[in-house]
Amino acid sequence: MMATSALLRMTAPMRRDFEIPYHDLGDPDQPPKVALVAGLHGDEINGVFVLSRLANFLGGVDLGQRPTQKLLGRIVIIPAVNVLGLNTRSRTWPFDKTDINRMFPGYDGGETSQRIAHAVLQVTRDARYRIDLHSSNRDFEECPQVRLYEPGPRERSTAFLFGLPAVVERPSTSLFTVTIGHAWQKLGGENFVIQAGRAGSLHLPYCERLFRSLVAFLRRTGTLEGVELSEEDEDSYYFGTEQAVRLVSDYAGIFVSNLEPGRWLQAGDIIGYVYHGFDGHIHGEIRTPVAGLLTGLRRQPLLCQGDLVGRIHTP
Amino acid sequence: MAPTTAPMQIAHREEILTLDLPYCEQLAVGRTTFGSGGPRVAIVSGIHGDEVEGLYACHRLARWLTELCRTRPEALLGTVELYPGLNPLGLDTLQRWVPIFDVDLNRTFPGDDTGILPQRIAAAAMAYLEGTGMVIDIHASNIYLREIPQVRINQDFAERLVPLARNMNLDVIWVHGAVTVLETTLAHSLNARGIPCLVVEMGVGMRLTPSFTEQLIVGILGLWQELGVLDRSVVIPRPDHIPLLADDTNVHYLNAETSGLFVPGVEHWRAVYAGQVLGSIVSAHDGETLSQIRSPVDGVLFTLREYPLVYEGSLMARIVATDTVPRGTA
Repeated sequence: MMATSALLRMTAPMRRDFEIPYHDLGDPDQPPKVALVAGLHGDEINGVFVLSRLANFLGGVDLGQRPTQKLLGRIVIIPAVNVLGLNTRSRTWPFDKTDINRMFPGYDGGETSQRIAHAVLQVTRDARYRIDLHSSNRDFEECPQVRLYEPGPRERSTAFLFGLPAVVERPSTSLFTVTIGHAWQKLGGENFVIQAGRAGSLHLPYCERLFRSLVAFLRRTGTLEGVELSEEDEDSYYFGTEQAVRLVSDYAGIFVSNLEPGRWLQAGDIIGYVYHGFDGHIHGEIRTPVAGLLTGLRRQPLLCQGDLVGRIHTP
Repeated sequence: MAPTTAPMQIAHREEILTLDLPYCEQLAVGRTTFGSGGPRVAIVSGIHGDEVEGLYACHRLARWLTELCRTRPEALLGTVELYPGLNPLGLDTLQRWVPIFDVDLNRTFPGDDTGILPQRIAAAAMAYLEGTGMVIDIHASNIYLREIPQVRINQDFAERLVPLARNMNLDVIWVHGAVTVLETTLAHSLNARGIPCLVVEMGVGMRLTPSFTEQLIVGILGLWQELGVLDRSVVIPRPDHIPLLADDTNVHYLNAETSGLFVPGVEHWRAVYAGQVLGSIVSAHDGETLSQIRSPVDGVLFTLREYPLVYEGSLMARIVATDTVPRGTA
């Protein structure tokens, strides 16, 4: 039975009272099998769009509108946690500029964003699989990838069920300890962060890829039956923490590149050029020192000295 | 014949980091040094671009040191380094975080000298502060809350730092629990390397509170004298504030039960009693009082909300529970 619930209802100083809604699909008497969260950052639109479309699709399944398909487990979907941030195009909680994904595990008697974090954790805590969708920031574009932080062997293996081009293991940092990913880890289960695209924009091909990957994941984990999976997606590659190479520019200026993230490169290939902002001469060219998959690429042309322009993962 | 001071350069200004910006300009982080040799001490401020109390403290200290070097140069036995604005882009554009990157500079320590701009600032600061005997990192809360002058100390370093903080002429020493994310602050990074660093919080974002600055400076000069940076014969004002000791057991948080307009009913840094009304949350749409805020304990109000609009959960006040009214506040 499809249901829309609110994980939090709250007053506002001047606006109407507001709530953070979520979709609750499947048998409400069972604990959720899968929890999907997006929009912890209000400017990351790809995840919000994909989860809203997924909820639409699965809602139809849940209501029996697709007779050959069936939900075999309960699914919780929160398309956007930072509702006010999404509506005002703000990455952070707009009132006090706190990053909701730095407020976990949250506290129901604490600051507003701590209360939001606490409520998100309550709704997702019993799920076996938990997935948090992100885009990069406004300056950088990531090809669709699963990110794992200090994963167990089961997560390493399950991550391939998404069928995304890259499964990337990242080092855990002090900052990670206040994210939803870390809070979920403490609860057990299997937890995944998915990155795709760039904040502030909607990247339709990535969204389509993410949609297919989530449907594939639901089928492969036995949560959804009766769907045909596309065979067109390429292979997935696993990259450990030592296989990442950051490309940093020694030049400031205007960065120009005609590459697309997700492309395989040879050592020595040109990533882009940096032009002098005032007189227009070419300051320098940026080449990759290694062969590998271009998992992320700078999209913001204005470049400070030392800025990241790309990330290569070597096989 | 009275000794004459040569028209020497009293303060030495230099840039600890320069980085090219996209169009024609450079980011430059500067420091000003007084004296040479002897014990080294440093003041850091302006890590957050909306906190300016520390900038004024640097100005007042620079003026005091300039006068000392003019009149009694031999009395400066050590080296004083002032880093008034570690986040110059944020300060010059009125942004708390590092502009362009939207990164909290105080969550990037110890930094990375090959990383992005905020990481390079952090790495440069760490490199230049290496070997310093005492660092004071001055903060000014944020734009929402006003703080009485206080020192905040991670409990992991309390044994070493609390005795130093006692003579800082501040009103509260708050020893807080160790939180992993705070390991990325300047203070934690320095203390973890054995360089004592005290974090001062006072005032409110985007504003100056000169009386707080004068109070702090008395404490800083006294500490420098204790550390042998200033000669014992230098006359400095006597401290007149005795700190309350706060920790996670006696600090009480008052978070808003509902959203609206917070109107305080008491003055900051006043003794309050359990049950006393501290303020109200009212509606701007009508004449209704939505919530009354009462003190849960006898104590002293050391944090008070400055920005009136509140959401559910917004912090309005912090009280340190006490048995007696604190001394040194008259």
